[in-house]
Amino acid sequence: MNGNTGKIINVDLGKGSIETELLPEEYYTKYIGGSGLAAKLFWERGNISADPLSPEAMLIFMNGPFAGLKLSGASRNSVAGRSPLTGNWGDSSCGGYFAPELRYAGYDGIIIKGKAEKPSMLLIEDEKINILPAPEYWGKGTEEVNKAIKNKYGKNYRVLVIGPAGENLVKYSIILNEGHHAFGRAGFGAVMGSKNLKAIVVKAAGKNMNLADPEKYEELRAELNPKIKEALASDVMRENGTAANLEGGVVSGDVPIRNFTSNYWEEMGQELNGGILTEKYLTKRRVCAYCSIACKRVVEVKEGPFAIPEGPGPEYETITALGSLIGSMDLAAVCKASRVCNDIGIDTISAGGTIAWAMEAFEKGDITENETGGIKLLWGDMATVIDKILPDIAARKGKLGILLSEGSLAAALKTGKDSVNYTVQCKGLEVPMHDPRGGGHGLALAYAVSPRGACHVASPMLFMEMGACFYPEIGFEYELEPMTDENKAETAVIAVALGAIENSACFCQFADREIAIPEWVGLFNSVAGYNWDASDMMKAGTRVFYLKRLINYLFGRTAKDDALTPRMLEPARDGEPEGVFINFEGMKNKFYELMDMDTVKGIPSIKKLEEYGMGVEAKRVWRET
Amino acid sequence: MEYWKDENEPIKAFVKLFEAAMVDAELTGGLKKVNQLILFDYTEDGPNCSFWVDCRKGELKVGPGKPAEPPDMTMSLSADDAHRSWSNKLNPVMAITRKKIRVKGSATGLLKLAPKLKKVAAIYVTVLKDLGWEDKILA
Ligand code: SF4
Repeated sequence: MNGNTGKIINVDLGKGSIETELLPEEYYTKYIGGSGLAAKLFWERGNISADPLSPEAMLIFMNGPFAGLKLSGASRNSVAGRSPLTGNWGDSSCGGYFAPELRYAGYDGIIIKGKAEKPSMLLIEDEKINILPAPEYWGKGTEEVNKAIKNKYGKNYRVLVIGPAGENLVKYSIILNEGHHAFGRAGFGAVMGSKNLKAIVVKAAGKNMNLADPEKYEELRAELNPKIKEALASDVMRENGTAANLEGGVVSGDVPIRNFTSNYWEEMGQELNGGILTEKYLTKRRVCAYCSIACKRVVEVKEGPFAIPEGPGPEYETITALGSLIGSMDLAAVCKASRVCNDIGIDTISAGGTIAWAMEAFEKGDITENETGGIKLLWGDMATVIDKILPDIAARKGKLGILLSEGSLAAALKTGKDSVNYTVQCKGLEVPMHDPRGGGHGLALAYAVSPRGACHVASPMLFMEMGACFYPEIGFEYELEPMTDENKAETAVIAVALGAIENSACFCQFADREIAIPEWVGLFNSVAGYNWDASDMMKAGTRVFYLKRLINYLFGRTAKDDALTPRMLEPARDGEPEGVFINFEGMKNKFYELMDMDTVKGIPSIKKLEEYGMGVEAKRVWRET
Repeated sequence: MEYWKDENEPIKAFVKLFEAAMVDAELTGGLKKVNQLILFDYTEDGPNCSFWVDCRKGELKVGPGKPAEPPDMTMSLSADDAHRSWSNKLNPVMAITRKKIRVKGSATGLLKLAPKLKKVAAIYVTVLKDLGWEDKILA
C-alpha cells in the first residue's frame, strides 16, 4: 500500500494479546484515515452497548496518510471511540510527535480493548510490541511520567500519557503527548484510565515510507511548505500564538465571557491576548513535528502568586476557557491553571466550561456551599480554581470535585432547577471558545450538527465565515456575512465534508487553510495513489460525516440532539452582537434538506447512503422501516 | 477607479479620516498603543496614491505620500477596495485570503491595528459628508 502502511495493531489488555492486521485498501479510499477510518473500524467492530469505560470499549488511535511526510501541519493523530463524557461518538486530534513515529514504526493505528489487571504501558519498537507493567507511574502527573519514560528509554521515544484525572475516570480527561500536545476533547484519557493503561510509547528504527508518486509529492511539498510558512496567518500565530487575535475577537463578540453571559470585555482583550503573552511570559516557541508555523508557546511566570517554571504555555482555547469564561483577566493565573490541567490531565475547555457553569449556578443560588462542600465559587477567583477546584476534580474528591468531574451537563442534571438551560454544551460536549452570536451564526449550526458535539474543528465553518477560505473548485467562492443565516446551511454542507477530510487526513486546520482544493487532491493522489478528483475527495468527506451520524444513531442520538442550549441562542446582552437573534431552526432545517437527512432520525436517507456507497450501512440503521 | 476621480481624492479622504480620528481621545490612545509606522499603499492606482500613519513614540501623525523612514508595516490594496473597506463593505480577512489586500511587515502591528481600524471606519461616513462627497457613501 502507498502512503498508508495499511497495518494496525490490535491490543487486548485483558488477554494480554497483541496482533497486527492488514486493512483492505478500500477502507482508506472510502474513509481516508484518522477519525474517518476509526469510525469505519468502530462501526464494524465496536460494541455499541458497551459503556465507554468498560473493558469492552474500543479505544482507537489512527494516523492520516500524510503523517511523517515532512509537510507542515500534516503529522497529527486522532483518537476515537465512544466518549465517556457524552456517550456519543467522540474523536479528538493531537499534534506533537506521536503520529510520525507510529508511521515510521510501520503502523497506521492501534485498537485497544480489554482492561489490564494492573497499571500498564504499551511499548512499540517496530515489530517488537509489549504490554509492560507500569505501577511506578500510576498516580503521578503527566510531566513527571513523561520525563521518567524518556529518561528510561530515550528522549526520542514518543510518549502518550494520562494524568491522575484519567486514572480516576474524570469524564473529560486528556491524553498528552510529550507533555505538551493534547488529545483534549471527549474524555479519552478516562478510557485509557479505565483500561489501566497509563502510557503508550513508540520508537521506530528507520523512516521508510512508500509513496505512490514520490516526485509529484516532492514537487507539492516544495510548494506547500513555504506557502504555509509565509502566510500572514502563520506569521501572526508564530509571533503571538493562537491567541494573537483575541482582542479582535473581543471586538466582534466572539470571545465568551462569564459562562457566555457577555460578549464584550475590552480590558480583558487587552490583558489576555497573545501579544501580551509574548511580551510577559514567552520564553520559546514550539512546533508539532515538521510544522513551520510554530504556534505552540513555552512560558515562564517568574514571580507572583501564580509563578510557574518554564514549560508548556496556553493556547487560545485555554486562555479563554480558564480566563474570560470564568471571569478572569489574569494571564499569569491562566498560565498556571493551564499547567495544572496539563499535569493532572484534564481538558481545559470542558474544565473551564464546567467551572463557569458552576460559578453561575452559585451566583444564582442553584448550588450553595452545601453542594460545594463550603467552597465559594466566585467569578475570577483563580486561587480557588487552581488550588482547590482543579485538583479536587482530578481526584474526584469532595462534593464539588465529584459534581464537576462529570462535566457541565451531568452536573446540571444532578442540580436541577433550570441549570441545564445555562449549560453551554451540545450533546454533552462543552462549547469551545467561539461564541456563534459574535463569531458567526453558521458556527451555531456547525456546533449542533457535529457528531461529537459542540466542536469548532469538526469543520472549517469558523474560517469560512471569517473569510479565510476560498475554494472556487467546490463552489465556495462567495462571501459570507457572519452575523446572518444567509447561505450558512449551503456552506455547512461543504464545511462538514471539508472538516471530515481534514480530520481524517489528520491535518492541522491552521496549516491547511493555505492548501487549495487541487493541492489537496494532488496530495492524496501522489501520497496514497487514490486517483481522486475533487468530487471523489468531497464525497469521501461527506461519507465520513454520514458514518459518524449513523454511529450516533446507534447510540440513540437523533435529530432532536442537534440542538443548542437556551443560553447559546438567547440574543447577546452586549457588544457587537447585542440583541441579534440567530435563526438556528431555519439553518438546521435547510441543512437537513440539503444533506437529505431524516428530520426525526437525524440520519441520511437510504437513497443518499446508497449514493455514497453505504448501502450496507443503510440496511443496519433503516432495517426497522 | 470606480469611486474616485483621480489619485488625490482617496488620499484626501483617508488623511482627513485619520485627522478626524485624532480628535477622539480614546481612539488616539488606542492607535498610539499600536506603536508602528504604517504605510497605506494604493500606488496601483497612481504613483502618489498612498498615505502613512505614524503612531510611534506616544505620538500620532498622518500624512500623504510615503513616510520618510521605512515603514514597520505596509498594507497594499486598490483605492476602491480601501473605500469599500472603510465603508465596512469589504471583509478584510477575505480580502487578504484573496490577495486583494497584501500585508508586509509586522504581524503584531497588524493585529493591534485591526480592532482600531474598525473604530476609525465608524466615522468615515461623517468625513465623506464633511467633504461634500455624499455621493461616495456606500449604502
Ligand atoms: S499550526 Fe500549531 S498546532 Fe498546528 S501543527 Fe503547527 S505547531 Fe501544531
